[in-house]
Amino acid sequence: MSFPSASCARFVAQWRTARQWGGLVLLLMFTACSSPPPVDTIRMGLASAPSSLDPRVATDAASERINRLLYDRLVELDDAGMPVPGIARWERLGPDHYRFFLAPRRRSFHDGSRLESGDVKATIEFVLEPGNGSPFRTALSLIERIETPSSEQVDFFLRRPDPLFPAYLGVGIVPAEAAARSHPFNSRPLGSGPFRFVDWPTEGRLILQRLRDGQHFSFVLVKDPSVRIMKLLRGEIDMLQNDLPPELAAFLGRQQGVVVARAPGTNFSYIGFNLMNPDTARLQVRRAVAHAIDRDAIIEYLMQGGARPAQALLPPEHWAGGKGLEPLEYDPPKARELLREAGYGPGHPLELEYKTSSDPFRIRIATIIQSQLARVGVSVKVRSYDWGTFFGDIKAGRFQLYSLTWVGIRTPDLFRYIFHSSSLPPGGANRGRYRSADADRLIEAAEAVDDLSRQAPIYQRLQALVLVDLPYLPLWYEDQIFVHRSDITGYDIAADGNYDGLLKVKRSVERAPPASDSQRDNDG
Amino acid sequence: MTRFGRMLSLLVLFLWGLAALLAPALPLHPEQIDLQQILTGPNEAAWLGSDDLGRSIFDRLVMGARTSFSVAIGVVVISAIIGTLLGAFAGYTGGMADQVLIRVIDIFLAFPGILLAIALAGVMGPGMDNVIIALSVVGWVGYARLARAQVLSLKQRDHVAAAIALGTGRVTIVLRHLLPLIASPLIVEATFGIASMVIAEAGLSFLGLGVQPPEASWGSMIRDGARYMLIAPHMVLAPGIAVMMVVLAVNLLGDRLRDYMDVRILRPGHAPVSPSRGP
Repeated sequence: MSFPSASCARFVAQWRTARQWGGLVLLLMFTACSSPPPVDTIRMGLASAPSSLDPRVATDAASERINRLLYDRLVELDDAGMPVPGIARWERLGPDHYRFFLAPRRRSFHDGSRLESGDVKATIEFVLEPGNGSPFRTALSLIERIETPSSEQVDFFLRRPDPLFPAYLGVGIVPAEAAARSHPFNSRPLGSGPFRFVDWPTEGRLILQRLRDGQHFSFVLVKDPSVRIMKLLRGEIDMLQNDLPPELAAFLGRQQGVVVARAPGTNFSYIGFNLMNPDTARLQVRRAVAHAIDRDAIIEYLMQGGARPAQALLPPEHWAGGKGLEPLEYDPPKARELLREAGYGPGHPLELEYKTSSDPFRIRIATIIQSQLARVGVSVKVRSYDWGTFFGDIKAGRFQLYSLTWVGIRTPDLFRYIFHSSSLPPGGANRGRYRSADADRLIEAAEAVDDLSRQAPIYQRLQALVLVDLPYLPLWYEDQIFVHRSDITGYDIAADGNYDGLLKVKRSVERAPPASDSQRDNDG
Repeated sequence: MTRFGRMLSLLVLFLWGLAALLAPALPLHPEQIDLQQILTGPNEAAWLGSDDLGRSIFDRLVMGARTSFSVAIGVVVISAIIGTLLGAFAGYTGGMADQVLIRVIDIFLAFPGILLAIALAGVMGPGMDNVIIALSVVGWVGYARLARAQVLSLKQRDHVAAAIALGTGRVTIVLRHLLPLIASPLIVEATFGIASMVIAEAGLSFLGLGVQPPEASWGSMIRDGARYMLIAPHMVLAPGIAVMMVVLAVNLLGDRLRDYMDVRILRPGHAPVSPSRGP
């Protein structure tokens, strides 16, 4: 009897042991299968993905805005467009000699190496090298040579004096050692900015981490505005900025759990005239077009108040902005009279071709302008093209009228680039072939003055002259619109639309990441 | 199809044709922009509402009917004439000409038709004329294949042999002795072609390859409205329902016409006809 009993006891003991081991194995299996603790990520919807995260070459708006987060700059511009210290303060040791002192308490590069003067020198020299094709080369080409007296100081020697020189040093600094071994900054950015690069698995999904608190941010590409809005309403993205039809922004303002914030912007929309064309070369025609367009009505009804009328390239709050300029009044009788004076009328109507991009909102604006010009007897054909064709035509001077927007303009050196008679494309952006001895003289006079406070009135006179000559017809400065879910707080909207507000943004109530969190990140 | 369905289909087609023909004479303002009426819903002044530029959707729908009607009829007429003549002569003549046509047809059929039309319209540029050309280039193939097959089955008939014996020319034989006999299936094909072309025109306009702003077409109205589905669904619903009703009506009547012309189907008061005897 004892045998079966002992056998049974041994069996039970073995079963218990097996069960304990099995439980342990199962526990380990489940532990291994479960994902790591999910990270709360704040998602931002983008209308276009950044093209390059190398700050020395990238110029598209999305890349520039994200590069500002990843890299530090020597100099920043304040709200009035004046240069202020970034990671360096400066002294002007001579008319053409600037010394920059790196801030003692500055961030290191994200690989741990310290940002020193050699990195600044290497970055700027890369930009200046013609073979690298940097678009910032033109602005910095007045640099004759760069010296580094110490690891904390950089000396810039200029070919000619320019009191605005520090404002041109807005290029993000990259580490010299990584640059020397051709590190792919465009896809694996390495800077010293307040955000660290984490991953960029697909074009439509870029992940950064804020160094201050480790908060992850995902930039999700959603091209269609309606889809972007649906994702915001469903909580698949937490915020978005601009690139919304005004009616959809108003619609979002009426939704629960979503907040729409606006701030005045500085992006300048205008109509450009071709001054080589027999019709648009005539000042009376340009003035007639200016008086026939009801900008206030377009702003009120189409843009739902999301813009302010512009009289000049730089807004009034800019230190060199146009101040006290007479607005171009909507005055159809005057437009008809000007056209009559120019020899146009029912028997000889003015016919113009208006080129615009294929962006639906731009086509809407073009159609409205076409209808307003028709009321004064001007027949306008609207031609919309894809961006490459459109921009190629504008640069080549194949247009009568076109509309575009200058984005992110901060410094008045742009006046030479746009209005000087020596700045015809491809070297400059004088696309309308505007040739004015007075304008050239004012631009050169402003550049010759060695004091920004004395430059400002000259630039203001220049903008008043441009408003009379009308190579550009100023339309408006579009507002910046930021839409976010109500649990997102702390975002300050920048006038030029940059993403610096992400430095302080946070989720007010810690949200438990949904089960499909990782899957939702791929939706872009 | 019930009598009610037939009458409804006829009514839809009648209204479509009437709108297309009379649109220029009606007091419509399809391009009149009224900024204060942007995206307003149906109301007394604009009983289908206003679009994203404050234009009356009803007015644009009527003008869009003219666009879709012109494109559909234009493409079907051009395609049918070219395709039928090519197919009939190739089928009747045979030999190298027939072989070449067959290969060309095969090549065209190897491409999805709408894709080829998009490519052609993209190369030629937007505009109603170019849409008609692009769709005709794609559309003739079906008629050519059908006409060729019909002629092949008929050209051995006695009356054709008699015409040849009497010294009748090839052109006369095809046009006078064969075309009338193959007209029925071609008419049915053309009927369905109209429905396809309404959709194709709307598709090309949706892609921005059709008529240019500010002219109206149903496809471009749907494209414009798709952006405002959340806030102004009437912008999409009006042209969308119009396209659906016209296509449905054309298809239902085409179906009915096919049945009517099919000699194998017994109709009250008519004796069944053997398919071997032909039409």
